[in-house]
Amino acid sequence: MPYNIAMISDFFFPQPGGVESHIYQLSSKLIDRGHKVIIITHAYAGRTGVRYLTNSLKVYHVPFLVMYRETTFPTVFSFFPIFRNIIIREQIEIVHGHASLSNMCHEGILHARTMGLRTVFTDHSLFGFADAGSILTNKLLKFTLSDVDHVICVSHTCKENTVLRASLDPLMVSVIPNAVVAENFQPLSHTSNSITSPADHHHRNAPGPPRRLGPHDTITIVVISRLFYNKGTDLLIAAIPRILASHPNVRFIIAGTGPKAIDLEQMLERNVLQDRVELLGPIRHEEVRDVMVRGHIYLHPSLTEAFGTVIVEAASCGLYVVCTRVGGIPEVLPGHMTEFAKPEEDDIVAATGRAIASLRAGKVRTELFHNQVKQMYSWTDVAQRTERVYDGISGVLSHDEFYQGAGAGGGWSATRGRAGVQSFALIERLKRYYGCGIWAGKLFCLCVIVDYLLFVLLEIFAPRSRIDIARNWPKKDIKGGKDKEKEKDADNGAKDGSGIGRKRSARHRREKREERDES
Amino acid sequence: MLALLQRLTSPPAQTLTTLQPTPSSILFTVSTRPVPRTLPAHVLYYILILIRILVGTLSIVTLWAKWRVSQGKEPALLICAPGETTETWLVKLLETLQWKYLAPGALAVLWGVIRRGYTEESLTILRGLGVQTSTSSSTFLTTPTTRFIPTTSIQDIFIHEAFKGFEVRFYLAIVVEGEEDVVVVFPSLLPRRAILEEVWRGARACLYEVDNKTKAKT
Repeated sequence: MPYNIAMISDFFFPQPGGVESHIYQLSSKLIDRGHKVIIITHAYAGRTGVRYLTNSLKVYHVPFLVMYRETTFPTVFSFFPIFRNIIIREQIEIVHGHASLSNMCHEGILHARTMGLRTVFTDHSLFGFADAGSILTNKLLKFTLSDVDHVICVSHTCKENTVLRASLDPLMVSVIPNAVVAENFQPLSHTSNSITSPADHHHRNAPGPPRRLGPHDTITIVVISRLFYNKGTDLLIAAIPRILASHPNVRFIIAGTGPKAIDLEQMLERNVLQDRVELLGPIRHEEVRDVMVRGHIYLHPSLTEAFGTVIVEAASCGLYVVCTRVGGIPEVLPGHMTEFAKPEEDDIVAATGRAIASLRAGKVRTELFHNQVKQMYSWTDVAQRTERVYDGISGVLSHDEFYQGAGAGGGWSATRGRAGVQSFALIERLKRYYGCGIWAGKLFCLCVIVDYLLFVLLEIFAPRSRIDIARNWPKKDIKGGKDKEKEKDADNGAKDGSGIGRKRSARHRREKREERDES
Repeated sequence: MLALLQRLTSPPAQTLTTLQPTPSSILFTVSTRPVPRTLPAHVLYYILILIRILVGTLSIVTLWAKWRVSQGKEPALLICAPGETTETWLVKLLETLQWKYLAPGALAVLWGVIRRGYTEESLTILRGLGVQTSTSSSTFLTTPTTRFIPTTSIQDIFIHEAFKGFEVRFYLAIVVEGEEDVVVVFPSLLPRRAILEEVWRGARACLYEVDNKTKAKT
C-alpha cells in the first residue's frame, strides 16, 4: 500500500553528513517502492523554496532563521501554518522526523499529531545523561516522543539509549541500521576487474588468490574522521608514535579536520614523523573511497558512536577494521572483519599490532569483505523494513503481526488503544504529555493545547478548500512497477511469516538479482 | 458561525476570462471583479457607477465653491441653484464649514470614488511577436503596469511553487533571456492551480503552435 510520506529534518543537502545522506537514500528507495516522499527542511544559503532532486524527490526549503549548527530557532508554533499548508497540499499521511538535535523535526511531529497524522521518528545519535545540554535535549526528546507512533534507531545501543532518554516502551522502538551504497566503495582490485572485463561485471566475481603481505611490505593505516574529542583524536595522537615505534614498515594516512588537528600536527613535529604520517586535511565524501583504497587497515578510535557508517565503508573498500568497542560499533560488522579495542591507548596499540600481525600472516581475507558488506547492507533492505514500520503504525499489519507476538496487545501503556497505534483524541494525548514531569508535564500540556487551538483557528481562517493540491510527479512505467511490487509484497509476506528476517540468505539475494537482470 | 467567519476572511473570488479573436492571439484576464449576471445586478452595477460620478463631482464642486466663498467672491456656480434662500443658506453653510474638516473629507470622498475596488491582471499572447503582462493600477485614473516580452527572448514558460507568507503558492513564470529573475505572470493575484494550468496550456499552444496531438498529451 503506497503512502505519502514527509521526511522532516533540519539537516539535508547541500550540507554534507550522515543524517543527510540517510534521508536521501531512504527516500529515494521508498520512491522506488512506489511511495510518494517529500522532504521538509529549512532554507540553506542560496537554496530556498521548492526543489526537485533526482528520482522526483521534492524538497521544501522553508525559509527560517538558522540558529546554531544549522538548526532553526525553536519557536514551537510559528512553523505550524506553513507546515499544515505543505501537509495538506501534498496529502501527507505519515510524518517521519530525523535526528534528535533537529528542532524542526520535533515541531513537525507535534503538529502532525495535532493534525491527526501518523508519526515516526528516527534517532541517529547517542547522548549522555549528565551534562546540562543533554538534560535539556533529553527533556525535549521526551516531549516529542511521548506522542509518537513509532521510533526507529540505527543500532541496538542507540535503541537502549533512546528508550532510557525518552522513557519509551521498548516495543515501539525498532532497530533499522544505516546502509552504504556498496557500488561507491569498491576495493581497488574490484574496479580494475570490472574495467578490464565489463562482461562479468554483474557476475559475482570470485576474488583471486589473496595477496600475501610479506614481513617487510609497507602496511598503510587509514584514519578518516572529523578531528573532534568525541571521535577519539586524543587516543589517536597518543597511539600513533607507539604504533610506529614498534612496527617499522607502517605508514599512516589521516584525512579530516577539526579542532584537534593542531594537536595532531604538534605530535608529528615533536616525534619527527612527517615522513611516515600523511595529513590530507578535509576531503569530500566522494573522495573517501579513493583515500581508503590506499590503505590496508582502517583505524577508528571513536569514543562514542551510534552506528559508524564509516567503518562499513572501510570494510566495503576491503580494509581490515580496528575500532573501539563503544556504542553501536560492535553490532555493525562481523568479528572476522574487525579487531576490537577498549577505548584506551594501550589497547588500541595492542589491537593495531594484532591486526598488522594477522594481515602479514595472511589470515584475513580482506578481498572478500566487499561482497559480504554488500550482502549485509543495502538501502533497499532499509527501505523495506521502514515500510514495514509504516504498515504497522497505519494498521495494515495487525498488532500481533507487527510485534511478533511480543507481549499482550496494548498491555504496556494504558493510554493506547492498541499498541503502536496511538489515539488522536486530545485528552488521550494530554494524558501522555502530562506524565513527562512535575513542571514539564504541565508546560507540555499547555503547548499541546495552544497547538490545538492554533489548529482550530487555522481551519477557520485558512480552510482546506482554499489550499491547492499539488500534482504528483508522473510515475514512470506504472504497470511494470506495480507487477514488480506485487511480487515483492508476496516475497515479503513469505519472509515475514518466517520471522523478523533481519538477515536474508545470500541465495535469496542472488535470486533477486538475477530476477532484476532478466527484467 | 464557522461558515460566516470563513466567508468573511476569504479572499475575493477570481474569474478567468479568455478572449481569442484570432488563432494566433489570445488574452487571458484574471479579475476579482464580481461579474453581474442577472438584470437587477446589471442595473445595480450601472447605478453604482452613476452614483460614483455624482458623488465625485459633488465633492469637487464643494471644494471649488468653498474656495470662492473664502476668497470673498460670489460662487458663480451656486447662482444656478434654485431659489435665493437656498443660495444664501448654502453660502452660510460653506462659511461655517472649516477648511481643516472640509479639505480632508472631500479628498477622502474623491479617493473613494476613483479607487478601483478590484484587481485585474492579464496576459496577452501574440504569436510571433511576444507576450504582454499587465496589472491594473489601484485607481481609475492611473494606467496599468505592463511589460512586453518579445518572443525571441522568451526561453520558457512554466508553473512552479514558492513560499508566500505562511503558505506555498503556485505561480506562472516566464524565463526571459539575459535576466536573472523570472517574470511572474499575475503577480499580485497569484490565481489557483486550475486557472494557472488553463492559462499555461493556452499560452504554450498559442506561443509554440502546438498541434492538437501533443496538446492532448499535456
